[in-house]
Amino acid sequence: MMNNTGSDSVGKATTRTGTEDTMAEIKSHAAQPAVVTQIAPAKLTLADVRAKLDGQTGRRFWKNLDELADKPEFQAMMAEEFPRQSGAGEWVDAVSRRGFLKVMGASLAMAGLAGCTKQPDEPIYPYVKQPEDLVLGKPMYFATAYPFPTGAIPVLVKSDSFRPIKIEGNPDHPMSKGKSDAYSQATLLEMYDPDRSQHITYRGEVADWGKFQSTFATAAKQTSGGKGIYFLSETITSPSLAAQWKQVQAAYPQAKLVQWDAVNADSSRAASKAAFGSYTDAQYKLEDADIILSLDADFLGGIAHPGFLTLAAAYAERHRYEEGKTPNRLYVIETMPTVTGFKAEHRLALKPSAIAAFAQGLASGTAPQGLSAEEQKFFTALSSDLKKNGGKCVVIPGEQAPPAVHAAAYSLNATLGNVGKTVVYTETVNPMPSEQVADLKSLVGDIYAGKVQWLVMLGVNPLYSAPTDLEFRSAFDKVPVTVHLGLHSDETGSLSTWHINKTHYLEMWSDARAYDGTISIIQPMIDPLYGGKSAHDVLQALLPNPQASAYDVVQANAKTYIKGDFAAGWRKALHDGWVEGTAFTAKAGGGAPSQGSLPVPASSGLEISFKPDPSLYDGRFANIGWLQELPKQVTNLSWDNAALMSLATMEAQKLEENDPIEIELNGRKIIAPVLMAPGHADGSVTIHLGLGRRVEAGRVGAGVGFNAYLLRTSGSQLFAGGAKMTKQPGTYDLCVTKVHSIEHRGKIAQSDLVKQELDTEGTFSLPGHEAAERGVIRYATVEEAKKTPGFAHEGSPLRETPEHENSFFPDAWDYKKTDPSSLKIQNAWGMSIDLNSCIGCNACIVSCYAENNIPVVGREQVKVGRNMQWLRIDTYFEGDLHAPKAHFQPMACQHCENAGCEQVCPVGATVHTPEGLNTMVYNRCVGTRYCSNNCPYKVRRFNFLLYSDYETESLKFMRNPDVSVRSRGVMEKCSYCVQRIESAKITADKENREVRDGEIVTACQQACPTDAIIFGNINDKNSKVAKRKAEERNYQVLADLNFRPRTSYTAGVINPNPELA
Amino acid sequence: MAQVFDRSSNALARFSLVLTGLIVISLGVALDQLQRSPWVTKQGQRPDQPIPFSHKHHVEGLGLQCQYCHVQVEKAAYAGIPPTKTCINCHAQIWTNAELLEPVRQSWATGASIQWLRVHDLPDYVYFNHDIHVNKGIGCASCHGRVDEMPLMYQQNTLQMEWCLNCHRNPAVNLRPVAEIYNMAWSGPSSDKPVWCSSTVKGGATAQNVACTTTNPGNNGTEVASLEGAPEGPGKTKSSNFGPMVGVTIPASYQKFTNQMDLGKYLTAQYHIRTPSELSSCETCHR
Repeated sequence: MMNNTGSDSVGKATTRTGTEDTMAEIKSHAAQPAVVTQIAPAKLTLADVRAKLDGQTGRRFWKNLDELADKPEFQAMMAEEFPRQSGAGEWVDAVSRRGFLKVMGASLAMAGLAGCTKQPDEPIYPYVKQPEDLVLGKPMYFATAYPFPTGAIPVLVKSDSFRPIKIEGNPDHPMSKGKSDAYSQATLLEMYDPDRSQHITYRGEVADWGKFQSTFATAAKQTSGGKGIYFLSETITSPSLAAQWKQVQAAYPQAKLVQWDAVNADSSRAASKAAFGSYTDAQYKLEDADIILSLDADFLGGIAHPGFLTLAAAYAERHRYEEGKTPNRLYVIETMPTVTGFKAEHRLALKPSAIAAFAQGLASGTAPQGLSAEEQKFFTALSSDLKKNGGKCVVIPGEQAPPAVHAAAYSLNATLGNVGKTVVYTETVNPMPSEQVADLKSLVGDIYAGKVQWLVMLGVNPLYSAPTDLEFRSAFDKVPVTVHLGLHSDETGSLSTWHINKTHYLEMWSDARAYDGTISIIQPMIDPLYGGKSAHDVLQALLPNPQASAYDVVQANAKTYIKGDFAAGWRKALHDGWVEGTAFTAKAGGGAPSQGSLPVPASSGLEISFKPDPSLYDGRFANIGWLQELPKQVTNLSWDNAALMSLATMEAQKLEENDPIEIELNGRKIIAPVLMAPGHADGSVTIHLGLGRRVEAGRVGAGVGFNAYLLRTSGSQLFAGGAKMTKQPGTYDLCVTKVHSIEHRGKIAQSDLVKQELDTEGTFSLPGHEAAERGVIRYATVEEAKKTPGFAHEGSPLRETPEHENSFFPDAWDYKKTDPSSLKIQNAWGMSIDLNSCIGCNACIVSCYAENNIPVVGREQVKVGRNMQWLRIDTYFEGDLHAPKAHFQPMACQHCENAGCEQVCPVGATVHTPEGLNTMVYNRCVGTRYCSNNCPYKVRRFNFLLYSDYETESLKFMRNPDVSVRSRGVMEKCSYCVQRIESAKITADKENREVRDGEIVTACQQACPTDAIIFGNINDKNSKVAKRKAEERNYQVLADLNFRPRTSYTAGVINPNPELA
Repeated sequence: MAQVFDRSSNALARFSLVLTGLIVISLGVALDQLQRSPWVTKQGQRPDQPIPFSHKHHVEGLGLQCQYCHVQVEKAAYAGIPPTKTCINCHAQIWTNAELLEPVRQSWATGASIQWLRVHDLPDYVYFNHDIHVNKGIGCASCHGRVDEMPLMYQQNTLQMEWCLNCHRNPAVNLRPVAEIYNMAWSGPSSDKPVWCSSTVKGGATAQNVACTTTNPGNNGTEVASLEGAPEGPGKTKSSNFGPMVGVTIPASYQKFTNQMDLGKYLTAQYHIRTPSELSSCETCHR
C-alpha cells in the first residue's frame, strides 16, 4: 500500500490498482483449491438475452446475469443450499478446519463443562453524584442535527446513560417529520470509530491545543492583515461558522477562505448564477406534482440529493394507490441506473453528454439530433405530458448533472408555470455559497505563486480527493505550514504539519440549516471522546477572545435568529431541535431565468461518469463498516466498486463481468473490475468515488476498491469523454451480495406441479422462475388495477395460502386466545410493507444494524454469503436487459405462524411466542443451521465466526443495551425488534392499559423515509397494520407453502403513460 | 493352557460394570447438584465489600425506606445503587470519623466510585426488569429475602431460571397488594390474619386499582375514616395502612382472603397479570 502514500503522486500517468491487497486474489485465484464460490461468468450476448426474454410469456423477473443465462453451471450451483458457502467450510483463510480442530481439541473437550462454571464477580460503580434527571436503564432522547453539505438532517439521538446509541429522525421537525436515511443512521458508528484520531499532533508528535492556538495566532499577527493565511474548508453549513468567518475577515482582511468538497453543488451554483444572477437553491413540492421529471437526479437515493427526506416522503405519499387519488408519474433520464430510475414509470438511459442535449431539447421544444426511434418516442410523450400538466409537474435536475441541465430545468419549470407552485427558489442552504472547484484551482494557483504561508484545512481531505490535474500533493509540499482538522489522521492529516483531531457532530456545539432553511442547533450528546476541536475553535483562535468555546460562539450568533425571549427560545430550540421562523421564504424574481449562456458540454467516445458512491458518498464514510458492508443500491456491491456499464458496452468492448480493465483517460490510468449494471446507458461507464482509500483511512476503509479520483480532473468533475478500456489478465471476484439469496427450493415448493417439464433438476430459484410464477413480486398498472382490483390474487400462477381444511396443521397455533381477566383477544404482531412506497434506499438496513447490534463481517465473509444483515432489499429486475424495470422488496424474517424453522430445530432454540413472534433463544442454539436450511425466505443469519467485536472499548459504548451481542455459533435473524415490543408492553402494563396502535415502532419502520413499513397488532381490527393487511392488494410471499408469514406485502401499482406503454 | 483369569474375575467384571454405571450416575447427580449448589449460584455468600454495609441496621434499625437509596425501582429496569451522595447526606453529619466509612469519604473527596461487588448478578442475556415486578405486586422480599434482617447482604435465592419460572408459571403464589411491596415482613393472608381487598375505580395505575387492608373494614370507626366523615357502614372504611384514597369513592364491597392462593388469584385478575404462557415465553426475559 505504501507506494500510494509516497511521492509518486498526481499528474504522472501511473498505473494504480488502488486495491493491492484485494487484487492479490487475481493472482492466487487460479491456484485456489476447488472451493467453488463462483461459477463461470455467463457468456451471453445481448441477442441471447433478448431471445431468452422473448420466449417468455407473462412477467419474467431475474436478479443477475448468471441467472438469466440459466446455464447448467448455474443450475449446479443452485443445487447447493447456500451456493457460495458450499465447500467453503467455516474457514476462508489458510488455517484448515482440521488443523484448527487439532489445536482446539483440548479446549473443546472442556467445552461441555463451560455451562457449569461460575459467573465471574462483577463490580458495580455507582455515581458519586448522580445527575438529577437520569434514570439508569431508561433512554433519553435529545434533538440535534447532522450537518451534511446538502443540508442538515434533523435527528433525535437515543442516549443511554448519556451515551448515544441510536440515531433517529426528529419527529418534531417541520421538514423531516421523523424520517431518516442511511448516512445519518451510520454516523453513530462514525463517532465510535476506534480509528478516529485521538490527539493533536505537530510534525507527528503529540502536541497540545494551547500551543497550536498561540502559534497560529502569533503567526497571523505577524502577517499583514492575514496575508498568506488560507483556509480550505469543507462546505460550510453553519450560520455561526459563517458569522465567525466574517469576524476573522474583519480582523484579517487578507486571509482567504475556500470551501471545497469533492462532491459539490457547482453545477447548480453556476447555473443559478447565470439564470438568476445570484446563487439560488430550489425546493420542490412533490406533494403538488402529478408529473415528475428527474434529469439525472437521484432524489430517492439518499441525502446526497438535497431534500431527500421531504422529496421521498412526498413522492411516496403521492405514489400510494388509494381510492379517489391519481398516483403521480415519474420520468427519469439518467446514465447510471439508480433507485430513482427504477421507481420511475418511464426511464431513459442516456450518456451524460446526451442528457444535457436532451434536457435543452425539452426546454426549447425541439428534439436534439440523432435520437433513436425509442428516444424520440420518449421525448414526444414526455414533452406532451409535461405540457398537459403545466403547473402540476416538476423538473428536477441532478446535483451531479452539468450546469446546462440545471439551466434547462429552470427554463422548463418557468415555461410550464411550475415556479411558485411545485418549485420554489430560495436563498442557499449554505450560508456562503461558492463555485468550489474554481476556488480550489485559484487556491492551488496561489500556492504555486508562493502566496500561501498557512493552509488550514477544515474537515477536507484534498490529498485523497482533489482533482488530479491540480497536482495537489506537490502544491501541498510547497506550503510552509499546513494544518488539518479531521476526524481521522487521514491521507492529508498524516502529512500535515499540524493535525487537530476534530469533534464529531455528536460531540460538539454548532448549528446548521436544513433543506427548507430551518436552523437547527447542534448540541453535544457526549463529552468529546478524545477531546477534539471543531472548526469553530480553530477560527476562534484568530479572534480577540480565543478561549471562547463553540458553545459561546453558537449562542452569541443564535441571538440573531432566535426571536423573543432568548433564554426561553434557546431552550425551546434545543428541546425541539429547530428554531421557529427560520425557514426560507420564496425568493422574489426567480421565475424568469435568463437563457442560453451555458453550452452543452461536448464529448466524444466512451464517457466516464463520476458519481458519489451510494453507500460511502465522497469517501468520508469509508471507515464505517456498516456502510461498507451495506449492499449498494441497484448493484448490490459490498466492499467494492466497479466500472459499471451496460451489457451492450461490455459486448462492444469484449468484456465480461469480473474482468479487470485498465481505464485510460487523458493519459491517466486506473484498474477497475467490470460489473454489468442493467439499464446503464450504452457508450458510457459509471465509476463511483469514495473508495480506494489508503491505509490512513482506518482498518475498515483502507484498500477497499479502487480510487476513481485518480481519473477525475478539475475540468471533468462530472464526466469525461474519450476513455479507453483495455482488458487486463486474470479476474477480480467482485463482492456482490445478490446471489446469496438465490436458493434451491424446487421440490418443497411444489412449484413443479405447474411446470414439471422445466424443473428437471429441482433447482428452481426464488428470484428467477419462481418470482414470476409464484408471484413474489406482484404489481399492476393503474388501469389494470381499476379493472381488476384483486389483481394481486388473480391469475393462474398466483397461489395462496391453502384452505384451512387442506392443511395438515389447520390449527398449528391459535392466535385468538382471550385474556381471562380482560376478555381481550391477545396481541398478534404483524408487519405490512407497501411495495409501492419502498424506494430501496437502505435506511432501514442501517437502522437495523444500530438497533440490533449486528456485526460487520468483512469482505471475505460477505463473499461467501455470511453477511449478517437481518434485513435485505431484494431487487428484482424485469424485462429487457437494455431497459429493465426493477422492483424492490425488503425481506426479513417473516415470522411465520407455521414456521418451518421451528419444526426442525433439535434443541428448541427457535420457538414461537404466544403473540406470534418467531423468536431466537441464543443460549439454546447449538448451530446445526437446520432452521436456515428449512427457511424458504433465507433470512436467517449464522455467526460462523466470532463476528461481534468483544474487545474494542469504543464499540462497547455504542451497543444497544437491550439486545444481546451474539457470539460465535449462534443463529440470528429479525426479531421484529422484540426489545421495543417488550418495553412498550411493560409501559402499557404499568399503566394498566393495552398497547396502543403505533406505540411499537420497529427500527426499520422508524427509519423508513416513505412509511413503507407498518407494524402492529393484527388482531386489533382498527390498527393501521390490520387495515393495510385487509386491503385487496395485500399478499404474502410464497403463501402456498402454508408457512403463514406475519409479514405481508402490498402489491405495487404504477401509473405509466399510455403513449409509452 | 491355563486360564488366564480366575473364576472370580467374572464377579469382578460384573461388579465393575455396575460400578461404572454407578459412577456415571453419581457423576451426573454430582454435577447436577454442583450446578445448583451455592458454590455456583453464590446463594448465601457474603462477598467482601469495601464497606460492610448493614441493611439490617439501616432498614430495621433506622427505618429507612427501600426507595431512599434504590430510587428508581418503580421506574426502571434497575433498582439503582445509591450514589455516594446518598451516603453523605447523613454521614456528613453522623459517624463522620468512623474508620469503616473511610471509602465513602474517599469517594466523596476524589470523585471516584465506591466499587461494590454485585450480589444479585443475573446472566447478561437475562433482561430482568424491576419496575414491572414492583408495579404488579411482587414484593422486594419475594426475591431478595428479609434484607432488613441481613447485617451483610447476601443472595437468598438461587436466581436460576427454574426459580424464576416457578413464579412466572404461577404468579399467584407471590402476589401481594402493591401497597405491601416494601413491607419486608409481609407473610400473606392466613386464617389468623386475613386480608380484605376491594377494587376501586377502573383505569389508572395498578397501584390505585385495588385497595387492601389487614384490618377488618367491617369494624367501623378507624380514626381516619371518622375524621374524613365518611358515611357509616360496612365496607366504607378507609384503611390506614396505605392509600391514595382520600377523596375518592370508598369501595363498597371488600372481599376477605384467608390464604395466599385466593388472594393471588384475585390480584392476578385485578392487576391484569399476563397469562402463565405469556410470562414463561422466552422473549419475556431474553432478547
